[in-house]
Amino acid sequence: MENFDYPMTARILGLKEKRKRINKDLRLNFERNRIITEYYRTHKNEYPILKRAGYLYTWLTTREINIDDDDIFLGDAGPHCRTVHFDIEQTSISWIESNFGDTDERFKAAWQVPGSVWVDDADREWILEAAKFWEDNNIAALAIGLMPEDFMPMRMGGPGGNMNLGKFLSGSYPGHFCPNYKRAVTVGFGECKRIAQEKLEAIRANTTAENVRSELFYMAYIKVCDGMIQMSKRYAEGCRKKAAETADPVRKAELLQMADSCDWIMEHPARTLWEGIQSLFFYLYLLIADGTHWADSPGLIDEFLGPLAEKDIAEGRLTRETAQELIDAFVLHIGDEIIMFPKPNNQQLIDAHAAGRTFFDLQGGGQNIAAGSLITIGGMTPDGKAGVYNIVTEMVLLGYLRLKVAEPSLALRINKYTPDRIWAIAIQCSIRSGGMPQFNNDDVLIQAMLDRGVPIEDARQYAVFGCVEPAISGKEWSMAANCGSFGAGAGPISVLQYIIHGNEDPMSHRKGDLPCKKLYEYDTFEELQAEFERQAKHYIDKMARMYHFAALVFRTYWPILSASMMTEGCLEKGKDVSEGGATYNGMGSMINAIATIGDSLYAIKKLCFEDKTVTTRELYDAIAANWEGHEMLRQRILNTLEHYGNDDDGPDSLVVWFTNLWVDYFNSRPGVNCGTNNCGALDLAWVMGGRFQWATPDGRKTGDPLSISSDPRQDCIKNGPLAYVKSVAKMPWVKLRCGGAINSRFDANSVKGDDATAKVRNLISTYFKLGGIQYHFTVADSEVMREAQKHPEDYQDLIVRIAGFSAYFTHMSKADQDDYINRFELGV
Amino acid sequence: MEEAYVNAKGHIYDIQGYAVHDGPGIRTTVYTKGCPLRCLWCHSPESQEFGFQLSWLDVKCIGAEACEDACIKACPEGALTRGGPVKRTGTEETVIRPEIDRAKCTGCLKCTEVCIPKALYVAGWETDVDTVYARLMKDAVFFEGEGGVTVSGGEAMSQFDFTLNLCRRLKDSGIHICLDTTGFAPTERFAGILPWIDLFLYDIKHMDSYRHEKLTGVPNTLILDNARYIASHGGALQVRFPVIPKLNDSPENIAATADFCAELGDAVKLVQLLPYHQAGRVKYPRLGWTYRLKNVAPPSDAFMEKALEVFKARGLPCQIH
Repeated sequence: MENFDYPMTARILGLKEKRKRINKDLRLNFERNRIITEYYRTHKNEYPILKRAGYLYTWLTTREINIDDDDIFLGDAGPHCRTVHFDIEQTSISWIESNFGDTDERFKAAWQVPGSVWVDDADREWILEAAKFWEDNNIAALAIGLMPEDFMPMRMGGPGGNMNLGKFLSGSYPGHFCPNYKRAVTVGFGECKRIAQEKLEAIRANTTAENVRSELFYMAYIKVCDGMIQMSKRYAEGCRKKAAETADPVRKAELLQMADSCDWIMEHPARTLWEGIQSLFFYLYLLIADGTHWADSPGLIDEFLGPLAEKDIAEGRLTRETAQELIDAFVLHIGDEIIMFPKPNNQQLIDAHAAGRTFFDLQGGGQNIAAGSLITIGGMTPDGKAGVYNIVTEMVLLGYLRLKVAEPSLALRINKYTPDRIWAIAIQCSIRSGGMPQFNNDDVLIQAMLDRGVPIEDARQYAVFGCVEPAISGKEWSMAANCGSFGAGAGPISVLQYIIHGNEDPMSHRKGDLPCKKLYEYDTFEELQAEFERQAKHYIDKMARMYHFAALVFRTYWPILSASMMTEGCLEKGKDVSEGGATYNGMGSMINAIATIGDSLYAIKKLCFEDKTVTTRELYDAIAANWEGHEMLRQRILNTLEHYGNDDDGPDSLVVWFTNLWVDYFNSRPGVNCGTNNCGALDLAWVMGGRFQWATPDGRKTGDPLSISSDPRQDCIKNGPLAYVKSVAKMPWVKLRCGGAINSRFDANSVKGDDATAKVRNLISTYFKLGGIQYHFTVADSEVMREAQKHPEDYQDLIVRIAGFSAYFTHMSKADQDDYINRFELGV
Repeated sequence: MEEAYVNAKGHIYDIQGYAVHDGPGIRTTVYTKGCPLRCLWCHSPESQEFGFQLSWLDVKCIGAEACEDACIKACPEGALTRGGPVKRTGTEETVIRPEIDRAKCTGCLKCTEVCIPKALYVAGWETDVDTVYARLMKDAVFFEGEGGVTVSGGEAMSQFDFTLNLCRRLKDSGIHICLDTTGFAPTERFAGILPWIDLFLYDIKHMDSYRHEKLTGVPNTLILDNARYIASHGGALQVRFPVIPKLNDSPENIAATADFCAELGDAVKLVQLLPYHQAGRVKYPRLGWTYRLKNVAPPSDAFMEKALEVFKARGLPCQIH
């Protein structure tokens, strides 16, 4: 069987090594923060969208142009390759003050030792000063100014703290969308500017109350177009300067070629694959400068890069090998924009350095640290008559297979047109590079888009962003899961806690909004279910309502101009995405801990109401005592009760019941910008989330990890992977239209042999036939992972799939590593 | 019209989905209990006895204090006593675990009935064709294409009534069936089951009968005869050759095995060379047994490739794993 492990060029290997070197010498990006602070400080009264445009224009025309000696693609969003981004207007002031206002000794130990993300003394001084300005002007301050009072306690994780408003108010920008990179590459900012000018003139000829804001929008739009064209020309100039200094004739010619291209692109459509990819990067830099980079997607890149590559090859500009080198360079470079998330405090950094760990170790296993976070490849034409699988589809897969990069994530669309060769490369890629790509089921996802009211031609153009979330590529403002998700380790799990503990969170002793009975006071299981439903609907309503206010913050103060530049509908309507400019609008939110909740409900039902072998009082007392003194009851639940994940309708039907309840109600609430609400099932932080949850009736102890996303409880999978897949497929995936991960783990032995690819394909295809939405798998072996814990330096390339994203194993926290191995050893 | 199958009883010890090494496609394998062979390298010791044994998985034990000596009190023979304190795996807790005196244990299994954490459990259970059929058919959606059910062991042919009726019932539902066998059963049983089996997964462990008996406890003559019978009566064979360093990996034996496969002709659809592994070792202490194979390490990839060449040279379809 072909192993697809084609050699990489020396240049690519060199670029990969270079990145490993830089990882030991990272710096925070202050350039962008200085420019935005200066602009906002001196333009206080400028209208929000003009202020945004003014800042972006200043950034585009004054920032440092960085051209590295050996790079194939030009520049970075920061002043040098792999700067670590953070956005001061979205950063909590207390984080700035406690870290940079700390004692000199502690500051140095955290930020100025080998392995740290370096911060100069001058930058430290500057940021403490800048924080004074942002205290009243950052997103959190503006949001607090318009949030109704009943949302305020949510900031503290209090009643309704199942809604993650705290994250939003601490200033996370929405991110999570899929702007029209295709337009940036194949139409260009020059043409968009021309259209904007026409629109502007038409409005000026007839200004009304309705279109007056559009006039300002177009003014801002044109300014950013100018800035983009200027930045491109500044890179052209930089290339020529570099060429003049370069002795090597090959590099000199290459730089001059790049200069010509940079003079052309942005103003005009890209003509070659190199120009296409460079255009894509320039637009990505703009999004990052705008602070909107969190978990975005460049969309269906093979759809617009494929024809450019094919043309280059047909006309002799590229060979198959040189085209692959460009794609390899693309795959490496798109992972270069590092986002600091979460933001570690000084003590965490000092502890990490003492333990010989690096910045990456504090980044939650590498999640979300690369911008441009999810690339989607494959798909079908708008008329549905053919698949979109071209040379770029294949080359991107080959890039991931050979380069073994953990980010950004890669999604492959699967449908009846998916060629055998793409299946084979994708499965081999996933085996060797830790769960990339994720496989997406077009049958379910397109139907999900249709159910949202999207016409079929556009439904067929969905792409995936974030971790697993689908949106209409280039046409949708999605803001998914980020104005406040139902929350990692929260959401329905909080409702479960309230109905057991009489409207109280037993961990914090905070009361919820709706007084209710305690577990031992319900007369029937139906009564308990009805209470679950009443509470769920209350918090869903509150959440859906909160989204409208969250969106209002952006609409009022903080337009998202970089996204509006290239999201279909905005240029046409003269409206920012925050005002409903996009053709489609969606608001996603995730539910999680599904197995923990389903198994808990089942334990209550079966033990207390069906078999009546345990009273609700006994079960309550056991949970309230965190099982202390009740270990035998806990063991009975773990070992003798049925659990979700074993194709048993007892527990599975309760999982499906509460998921349907949640999804149907959330999806039916009025969405932001008149779009749809879209529920999904994904969790990124079941270990962390579990720490804040009291013991649950499924036998889980206080503080233990929750179940992950829609996956069954890790230690209760007794009937093997087929039953597991069948259970998960019972979830209402078409309605869970914000996506959801199933994470299978195979041990290395099970994918040996010539027919392993066919077997994995068959398993995925069957899951899809049963109605599953997305499939990821990792191949690893627990011995290898234990070795990697002992000798992380030898296992820098070990990648594992977590939940909608992949991570370098050695960058994960010890707790996450242990949890992963533990789950893995259970053989699923 | 086919005669109706009988709901025969059988002893099994596992049913596993996605058994990717037990034949083509995605398969669910039912493992029957009891085997006439005692291969030194056996990776499923729990499959060997026809009866049921007491098994002990220490990591699941929560300690005699927590369960108030449930197993110790349940044992009529006094075979279970409190042992010394040990650390519970993965926790900081110290627990008192029972110690099993296998000499006193009569195998009444009463302790397994009271052990809720299932640290003491029974390897294997009695079931019947209908029950196993119903369980297997839950996975049928995955069998499309080449997949299906594999009946494995132990030695499934030792429980002939159960195996034959199960295979007939599955075949009537259009399921592809592999029979994973040692080949050590009366030839008339193979003649009887032949029409229902799509593919025999057939072990050839040593070509020298004397050595074969040393390694497995039985001579190879019946096994080789049955292979010839199946091949000459229209059966399909996937021959499996477990390569055990020092025991059956001599150049002579590899060549003789390859020659034998070639002699079977077109009936051989594939030869699998299975490198020895030690994964089964951890299962022995659970039964209170000792793993007998000492000082044998898995063969190298290079050695396996070389051995594969011997089969390729005879034009045999073959692979490692």
